[in-house]
Amino acid sequence: MDKEYLIEKWLSNQLTEEELKAFEAMEDYPQLIAILDNAGQFKASEFSSMSNFETFQKRLKTDQKPVRKLSWIKPILRIASVLVLGIAIYSIFIFNNTIKVQTLSGEKIEIELPDASKVMINAQSEIKYSKRKWEQKREVSLVGEAFFTVAKGSTFDVITTEGIVTVVGTQFNVKQRDAFFEVTCYEGIVNVRTKTFTEELRAGGNIRFSEGKIIQGQNTSEYPTWLKNISSFHRMPFSQVIAELERQYSIKIVLDEVSPEILFTGGFIHNNMDNALKSVTQPLSLKYRMDGTNNVILYPSEK
Amino acid sequence: MTSLAKELHKDICEKEIFSGIYNKYSKDLHNFLYYKYGEELNPNDKAQDAFVKLWENCKKVKLSMAKAFLYKVANNMMLNEIKHQKVVLRHQKLKPRDYTNETPEFLMEKEQYFKKYQQALSMLSGEQRVAFMLNKVEGKKHEEIAEMLGVTRKVVEYRIYTAFSILKNELEGFKI
Repeated sequence: MDKEYLIEKWLSNQLTEEELKAFEAMEDYPQLIAILDNAGQFKASEFSSMSNFETFQKRLKTDQKPVRKLSWIKPILRIASVLVLGIAIYSIFIFNNTIKVQTLSGEKIEIELPDASKVMINAQSEIKYSKRKWEQKREVSLVGEAFFTVAKGSTFDVITTEGIVTVVGTQFNVKQRDAFFEVTCYEGIVNVRTKTFTEELRAGGNIRFSEGKIIQGQNTSEYPTWLKNISSFHRMPFSQVIAELERQYSIKIVLDEVSPEILFTGGFIHNNMDNALKSVTQPLSLKYRMDGTNNVILYPSEK
Repeated sequence: MTSLAKELHKDICEKEIFSGIYNKYSKDLHNFLYYKYGEELNPNDKAQDAFVKLWENCKKVKLSMAKAFLYKVANNMMLNEIKHQKVVLRHQKLKPRDYTNETPEFLMEKEQYFKKYQQALSMLSGEQRVAFMLNKVEGKKHEEIAEMLGVTRKVVEYRIYTAFSILKNELEGFKI
């Protein structure tokens, strides 16, 4: 049997009868026993001992009684804190601190966030954020399109269903319409993250996720034109152009033998529908007519 | 055992309860400090200081937590003072009349043995030494020591074994 194993077992008083015999038969058994026997010579009580309680008591200063006054304050404080806690919890649930801003068709709104960051919201869009949590995390959820001017500070996240845009103090435009997701950076650096893709944009950079394709480009304008009530498009699928027209004018557009996939480059203003419709149809050699129920039908001019 | 249950909820700020705590734990606490840190740092003094601290905090410490509190406080007090000082435990001087049959040479050898033993004990870490001494000299069980040290039983066994191995190595040459 292994010597060290026996010693270990012996020290823990776990030797079996057989093991004990083997241990006692070891050559240095007498020395091993002696170590334990002689340890007693170092016993503490021979050299140092503890004072009894009477002696100890003298250490406690006679006037030092454990403070017992103000014992009525504790229960009252307890009750008060429970009340405050209750009110706080109630407020969290009832007074919902999530701010929601929604724009209708043809509407644009500018809002200011708790840290003085500004958001310009385009038509038919929605912004949500928690006022309460703003100090710890700057997070805004967006459905639709908005232009952000972010004050310098901790990271600022714009969350859409298609992707997340993260910035620290900058200006950028985020557009999410159904599965179309486009981010343009006008100042600073912006990080764009979708389920499958991450990209960093610098000022002038633009990235578009549309119809399964990722297109990166440059945008040299200083601001998105829609802030100045003009929608402009560069090689945009016509369906997107139509959708934007609908949003700005509260109309319904029907395409008659017109492909929604044509790439359109051009723009339209937001305050004159006829002008806007002309701007959209003429470049593609299309015409438009109204039917009775606020629908606008676009059709090829040869028709 | 209802009186015990009542005891556990009693305020240890009462003299009667507190003196009970003192009488129950003071000796073991003292021995713990003595074996681990030696005489020089006055274990009696430090142990008493720990009890004073317990008295000062008697409102905040439950009876069931008193022991753990004492050990933690006392150990910290020692650690604050010790600057890796070597711990030398004294051993009893052999009285010649106990060994009437033995020669002076034998007594000399024995004295040398104990000197070496003392050196070996100083080589142990405080943790090894206290575990070994509390178990082998004071007869404390592994579980008890584990509780005092705030470690597991296995750790205590390991420390005892390591301590013993070092002692064995150092005392190799001596034939008793």
